[in-house]
Amino acid sequence: MTTTTTAPTGPATAERSGLSFGGVLRSEAIKLTTLRSTVWCFAIIVLVTVGLAFLLAATFFTPAPLPDDGVQAVWVQVGTLGITFSQLVVAVLGALVITGEYSTGMIRSTLTAVPRRIPALAAKAIVIGVATFVVGLVSVLAAAFLPAGILAGNGAEPDFADPAAYAAFAGGALYLALIAVLSLSIGTIVRNSAGGIAASLGLLLVVPGVLSLIAAITSTEWLQNLSQFLPSALGNVLYAYPQDTGPVPDGIVALEPWQAALWLFAWVAVAFATAAVLIKRRDA
Amino acid sequence: MIEVRGLSKHYGSTTAVDDVTFTVKPGMVTGFLGPNGAGKSTTMRMIVGLDRPSAGSATVNGRPYAEHRAPLREVGVLLDAKAVHTGRSARNHLRALAATHGIAKARVDEVIALTGLESVARKRVGGFSLGMGQRLGIAAALLGDPATLILDEPVNGLDPEGVIWVRTLARHLASEGRTVFLSSHLMSEMAQTADHIIVLGRGKVVADAPVHQILEMAKGTAVRVRAPRSEALAELLRGDGVDVTADDGGRLRVTGITAPRIGELAASTGLVLHELTPLEGSLEDAYLALTQGEVEYHAGALPPSPDGSFPTAPSATMTAPTSATGGTR
Repeated sequence: MTTTTTAPTGPATAERSGLSFGGVLRSEAIKLTTLRSTVWCFAIIVLVTVGLAFLLAATFFTPAPLPDDGVQAVWVQVGTLGITFSQLVVAVLGALVITGEYSTGMIRSTLTAVPRRIPALAAKAIVIGVATFVVGLVSVLAAAFLPAGILAGNGAEPDFADPAAYAAFAGGALYLALIAVLSLSIGTIVRNSAGGIAASLGLLLVVPGVLSLIAAITSTEWLQNLSQFLPSALGNVLYAYPQDTGPVPDGIVALEPWQAALWLFAWVAVAFATAAVLIKRRDA
Repeated sequence: MIEVRGLSKHYGSTTAVDDVTFTVKPGMVTGFLGPNGAGKSTTMRMIVGLDRPSAGSATVNGRPYAEHRAPLREVGVLLDAKAVHTGRSARNHLRALAATHGIAKARVDEVIALTGLESVARKRVGGFSLGMGQRLGIAAALLGDPATLILDEPVNGLDPEGVIWVRTLARHLASEGRTVFLSSHLMSEMAQTADHIIVLGRGKVVADAPVHQILEMAKGTAVRVRAPRSEALAELLRGDGVDVTADDGGRLRVTGITAPRIGELAASTGLVLHELTPLEGSLEDAYLALTQGEVEYHAGALPPSPDGSFPTAPSATMTAPTSATGGTR
């Protein structure tokens, strides 16, 4: 390493630009793209989603010809099968965006540069949300179209001009983006990588199982209904192909995709608001 | 210009910073001295808004840090060399910080060159030594070309060359009219760098004065004398406030009389002197005297020797804890 023993300081830059939200957004985008973990996570999402789609398309078998909406449902299923996996990757990534800063001390640099703090958190949410949406959409569309020929060969030829299918694909990407932001908020609240990841994955994987188990044992309707409002259940509604499955049993809630989206936004809003209050108030 | 007024920080029942008031003026290097755990880092963190004060206020250039339109252009901070994501390269770390303020990429390369990090700029920070991390922290502080610099233990972990570099840099920045505020627990370092010193002990300001005044606070400036007939010389000097102690090597440590006066006395009686050295370590003594009883973590049961200094060499006592500069949480 060379040592500069003379100590010239840089000339004062001509234009003295200041702190701006656009700048903070750029900064967070640089931060996200300059970590290997991000690149790996996004690559894994695309690979696994497309891989699973090929697996499902190749092994698909129908003894009798399906009705049109049945074919579309299968096609959407092929495209969105990977989301079950992607949501876990995205939850980890979302938590790490902030807990990685807490564990390394980077958060002190971040909050010194953006001392009002909430713009930094908001920028993180926007950047991870948008990036996840884009990667999620690419993975789902690739998973839907690349194996479509194989699927058609197995007796299910999808209608590529069906807006309901695209709504489901977009819903899947939106779900992943919202899970990333939810996980970022949880990570901000707990400020610890292991804790943040455990809490997010627990909410996605463990809580639904426990709730439905208890609901099944006690056959309580309200518990069954409650589990409809968990993020993962809301996501299922968002990225499933809307099929007419007959009348819903009395007293059981069935959400429309737009309702599911609103409830998911509510989850994210509450978690993000809590995170914002805490990051503003706590010592860094 | 940094103005701190009645600043306090309590953690539960513990008081880290206790009603601290001081002003750091531009155009000079102000040293912030104190033993580990004295509250230096906490005070600095409160100045830049990372920690919320329990009471009091801190302003930089007339405003709370967070209320500046371009904080990084007002104040450059090195709080902690490890305030960097270990998975990112040095250059990308600086690029991310620069982006918040729309600082040009050219400036990023400039501070990399300035801190001598060119060869490692594209390597991940996780593999950096403490010294390289320190340089990166200083690069980040200089990024916005700020009028005020706050550097917490900047020489910590640097090799001697690096220490001189930081010293030169601090002096240079101050000579450009900037406010330079740097902390250290090493008195000897401050003596060579700072114009003004604020001493903190157990969260309180113990002294706030120009370096030479802090020096004068040293109890009994000492002079080292070597003479072939040291006993005769000791006999001559002793008395009326003058204290002479001899060490194993036959050298005398004389307090209460100036070096020129010793020379004159020796000449007048025809005694030969081989050495006559005013002891520079007295700043260390001043520091110890000031912070005595203010040290939160004593190194154990080292009983003070009769002359009030520690039995080990003073410099060793002060430099030993370099590797354990705590205060950071």
